[in-house]
Amino acid sequence: MIRFEHAGLRYGVGPEVLSDINFSLEPGSFHFLNGPSGAGKTSLMSLMYLGRKPTRGLVSMFGQTVNDMEQSQLGLLRQKIGVVFQDFRLMPHLSAFDNVALPLRIIGTSEKEIRSNVNELLEWVGLGDYKLSLPRTLSGGQQQRIAIARAVIARPKLLLADEPTGNLDDEMGFRLMNLFEQLNNMGTTIVIATHSQLIMEKFGHPRLILESGHLRVDQPKNWLQRKMDGVF
Amino acid sequence: MAKTFAKKDRKLGVAQENARYDLPLQNSAGSGFLMLLVALMSFLAMMALAGGFTMSDITERWSSGLENKATVEIPARTKDGAIRDPADVDALVKKIMTTLTSHYNVRSANALSREEIRDLVSPWLGEDASNESLPLPGLISVDLKSMTPRNVEALGSALKTVSGDIHLDTHESWLNDILKLTSTLQITALVITALIGATTVTAIAGAIQSRMAEFRADIELLHLMGASDNYISRQFQRHSARLALKGGAIGVALGMVAICGFMFLSKSADSELVPSITMGASELISFILLPFATMSIAYITARLTVLRTLSHLPL
Repeated sequence: MIRFEHAGLRYGVGPEVLSDINFSLEPGSFHFLNGPSGAGKTSLMSLMYLGRKPTRGLVSMFGQTVNDMEQSQLGLLRQKIGVVFQDFRLMPHLSAFDNVALPLRIIGTSEKEIRSNVNELLEWVGLGDYKLSLPRTLSGGQQQRIAIARAVIARPKLLLADEPTGNLDDEMGFRLMNLFEQLNNMGTTIVIATHSQLIMEKFGHPRLILESGHLRVDQPKNWLQRKMDGVF
Repeated sequence: MAKTFAKKDRKLGVAQENARYDLPLQNSAGSGFLMLLVALMSFLAMMALAGGFTMSDITERWSSGLENKATVEIPARTKDGAIRDPADVDALVKKIMTTLTSHYNVRSANALSREEIRDLVSPWLGEDASNESLPLPGLISVDLKSMTPRNVEALGSALKTVSGDIHLDTHESWLNDILKLTSTLQITALVITALIGATTVTAIAGAIQSRMAEFRADIELLHLMGASDNYISRQFQRHSARLALKGGAIGVALGMVAICGFMFLSKSADSELVPSITMGASELISFILLPFATMSIAYITARLTVLRTLSHLPL
């Protein structure tokens, strides 16, 4: 699904923010991405959602090397990826409905289907009454839920979320984590960048730990047992 | 409930397939200005086209009116400068008429009376033209069978045998000058129309580039969600085409009013020197097609500008 080989990233002529990154994620896996602030989590996420290309090394997504890929090919790969940005990046002039509908419109889904799916998902995230509201009229938590709904509406093969529960209360946070779990059970590969020890402990998935631009994979000791026990 | 939602959706601009924009192009401050600019350009293009059509009409009328026509002139003065007696002029006219009617290249000949000649010169001389003592030339309008130089020369030689100072005018030199002038004016009208088109293209391209800079973050987000360049470009194409169609229609409507005004003025002027402006079916169709031409230009300009600009974006 995702393969990084000696990948590095630098902005302009500055120092490398990511150095010699090596890892691969299997289809249907679920990982947390963790590390101190400034460790490069958002940069790593941007490489994964094809917002940037590595300045060295090799990155493969869905079995295709992206380093020298054309814009049109990148677009097709991006359609398979759902992203929850840390700053949400909602379109300020579009209603909650239209923001969530955007990925479906891009892939050419019929308006009838869009209406049905978007209304259902907005109800599910508790924003059924706000579908015609503009983002600026909504709270941070509500905007975050719209961003999450937009990321999952097209049933992506890969879901990347940068601090998706940061602005939510625990109940809504766990509810959305359960949504990610359900998507994962249906085959979606998931990577969630989070600082929340509570969520990482509760859901116990393997962690990609980023420190000073270097990455290591950490498997919780009881992860396999918990998975077999059906805890998550 | 679903029906209620759908109705509400449509009302608030959600899910309107044909009119939907992901980018707020229709709310952009420059849209009104661009439409006004297109309206003005369409108006000017229409005026230039109308000028071109009028020139073409004038050329057509003048050339067809003088086809195979010549004028025989018996000068009012003799070669040594003495004024010819009107009776001498009439006698010469009779002789020439005999020569003309028997010549193989003449279809018909018509000697103009002194009153007719006075009418012809009256626009330049005013009341002086009615003065009986005014020396007037003799004029004979001739309809020739052939205008080839050889046949015209043969007729000229035949006339010289009657009197050496008789002048046969085929209007060729005058007509050529007029045709050159009208052709130049027609080309000028076309060049002006082309310049107006180029200015419109430049204005639309500039407006699109400015919008793309304004909404760059949104465009990048669309890219990140997998939107193709064509998907993004289509929104600009549709928006620009709509603005251009509206602007073009306004410009043409104003142009029609102006042309109707000119037509009225040209008719009321009642002068041979003022060209009469007429509008046939082909001219009318050209004017009606102008907003659609503007729309097509805007559509293509938008597409080329957006795709070119997007190709320069990093990702």
